[in-house]
Amino acid sequence: MLFNSIAFLLFFPIVCVLYYSIPSRQVKARNLLLLIASYYFYMNWEPAYALLLLTSTLVTYTASLGIGHFEEKQKKKACLISSIVLNLSILFMFKYYQFFSSNVDVVMQLLGMRIYFPEFNLLLPVGISFYTFQALGYSIDVYRGSTKVEHNFTRYALFVSFFPQLVAGPIERSNRLLPQFRQRHRFDYEAVMAGVRLMVWGYFMKLVLADRCGLYVDSIFNNVEKHNGGSFLVASLLFPFQIYGDFAGYSLIAIGVARVLGFQLMENFSRPYFASTIGEFWHRWHISLSTWFRDYVYIPLGGNRVGRLRNYFNLLVTFIVSGIWHGASWTFFCWGALHGMLLCVEKAFRISKTTYSGVEKLFHWAVTFVLVCFAWILFRANNLSEAVLVIKGIFTHLGTPKPETANFIAIGLALTLLLGKELAEEFKWPIRNIASESGLVRHIYLVLMIAYIILFGVLGGDQFIYFQF
Amino acid sequence: MFVAIGLFSVDRMGGMAMWWVNQHTQDTSGPKIKYLVNDVHEDVLLMGTSRCNLHYVPSIISDSLGLSVYNGGIDRSNNIYAHYLILHHVLAIHTPKVICLEVMTYDFTEEADPFNTVTFFAPYFGINEGADSIFRLAGKYWKYRVSHLYRFNAKAVSNIAGLVINKQKGEDHGYIPCPHPAHYPSSLEHSNTPEKVDRMKLEYIQKFINLCQAYKIKLVFMISPMYTAVDEHHYDVLKTIAQRNEIPFLDYHTQGLYLDHPEYFKDVEHLWDKGARLYSSIFASDLKRILER
Repeated sequence: MLFNSIAFLLFFPIVCVLYYSIPSRQVKARNLLLLIASYYFYMNWEPAYALLLLTSTLVTYTASLGIGHFEEKQKKKACLISSIVLNLSILFMFKYYQFFSSNVDVVMQLLGMRIYFPEFNLLLPVGISFYTFQALGYSIDVYRGSTKVEHNFTRYALFVSFFPQLVAGPIERSNRLLPQFRQRHRFDYEAVMAGVRLMVWGYFMKLVLADRCGLYVDSIFNNVEKHNGGSFLVASLLFPFQIYGDFAGYSLIAIGVARVLGFQLMENFSRPYFASTIGEFWHRWHISLSTWFRDYVYIPLGGNRVGRLRNYFNLLVTFIVSGIWHGASWTFFCWGALHGMLLCVEKAFRISKTTYSGVEKLFHWAVTFVLVCFAWILFRANNLSEAVLVIKGIFTHLGTPKPETANFIAIGLALTLLLGKELAEEFKWPIRNIASESGLVRHIYLVLMIAYIILFGVLGGDQFIYFQF
Repeated sequence: MFVAIGLFSVDRMGGMAMWWVNQHTQDTSGPKIKYLVNDVHEDVLLMGTSRCNLHYVPSIISDSLGLSVYNGGIDRSNNIYAHYLILHHVLAIHTPKVICLEVMTYDFTEEADPFNTVTFFAPYFGINEGADSIFRLAGKYWKYRVSHLYRFNAKAVSNIAGLVINKQKGEDHGYIPCPHPAHYPSSLEHSNTPEKVDRMKLEYIQKFINLCQAYKIKLVFMISPMYTAVDEHHYDVLKTIAQRNEIPFLDYHTQGLYLDHPEYFKDVEHLWDKGARLYSSIFASDLKRILER
């Protein structure tokens, strides 16, 4: 079920009414309702996928019980490793097997040999990377002793499958979300309205900004042979806003939906395009994933408490893994590797966000923005050869871009709104206070934003980009 | 409660404001749809998508036939559903003597979203039951019933931009000349014969024909030049329907008209003004012959 579908706009109010009609002291009943709702939400894509979700839940639940039960470190480790191996095997089979087998086949052919891999026509289950990582994070936390073992299966299953963040995050940590399933959540009108406002802004980012940019970007990147460098350049400048609007929009809707039900999810984006270094960008972009990789990949590799070269290696490995997490394709590999290399360069030259101020900072912001946009070309292109074609086109055949006047006007208006809001937040302009203190202003804002989305949104029910990961 | 009442009020007032914009815009298709719904009175009505809009010069055809002609082709109107919807609006106020429908592969092949562009006509929702039947088919009926603002979603930006940018310059009875392109199509490619036929679209072509027959309108199908090579059986599905209903079928694409003149095209699917004027003369004389039979 997509957040931007009529089905969800019917489903969510029904869940809310049922949820709040159960007294807040009956936490178990409420959790059970949310668990059923979450599985129903997920099964709307493909009922069979729910078996994978259940498998991942059972594996990590059992392994974590084992970790908590055994005293010997070896046995604890065996439980953790079996949980990691089983979960990553499922992920590998559904997401990476095809990519792996075809690439091994190519290498073998170059060596004059053939390996015949069995073929499976498996569809990638929605959100598998998200819930697998969330469940694995829990197992590792239990092993490290940073979170307690959850014995209540309903509560744990809800932690893995909680519908607001099930299919595209934020990837929550067990010590943040699990305790909330033990708390009473009384109906709080202000909190509900705050959640609704977040949802509406999320819908704006997705339906007006991202999907309008997507109309242009997709028409160019899906037909690269028919367009010139000018169109590539415009599409490459719009895609960063498409993916930001799409993913940050989804995250905001998820956070808003959870807030309406009384839950707090972690912030996932913090005005990423205001970053003045690549390092800062990763502190602002997909925060739940970048901190996951920091805590469960980068630090276990040694983090920055190692020699310089080893530190660069750790960074590179972490970002390549992060790239491949997004998809089984060389474009994602290169995108991750490029970000890793840029971070190594920043480390080598000791470039950090606190180093500069004023005009220098502005210059660094511009350089960072251009580099991030450039890297997004690799991320968006359908394959590496098309990415090269786009980059080459921008530098060698810069002609007049394909015109889409009406769409450009709509995008310009949406970007102005987004920029205004983010500038006010970034530089703490006093106008924020008017919006946050006046109830009337908040309600008028809500009405006008909904009307704006109805009029200018692309309301065809398009998928969110991050669902494919 | 405040939000619900506020939203209802803004939706209705916004709907009224956007209706005004829609009625005063000078964008590409707004004035044409308005004319077709309210004012069309010509003897010959040309219908179709952008290929109709850009390829038929009414004054040339009118001079040849001695009948009044209006080019009702609407950019990106895409397929038979949109044509059927417009036909209902036209017949509510006027019965043309002849309707010439520019058909194309989209009129009979499967598409991911065949109703994508019927949303262009949503501002006129609720005034013609026959036209609204297409909105029901597209699953949009109740959305348009509930929200007045949503009816303007598909063309809101274009309509607003049309208040300041006049895209109707040089308009000739619905025809808006396409200027000289920056470059012509560079290579002639072969277009495969479509395989996946959409049965429901065929049903609506038949409904379109039946409606014309009920109003005793002479119907002609045509396919104007395109800069692609196709097999002779490319349009057999449409030709079979035309033959069964005794509808004249003028196919200039399969016979390869202008394939030796890429300079008449602005892209592989569209002629620019020069090509359109030359083609209109050929079409006019062929149509005259058909009407004189």
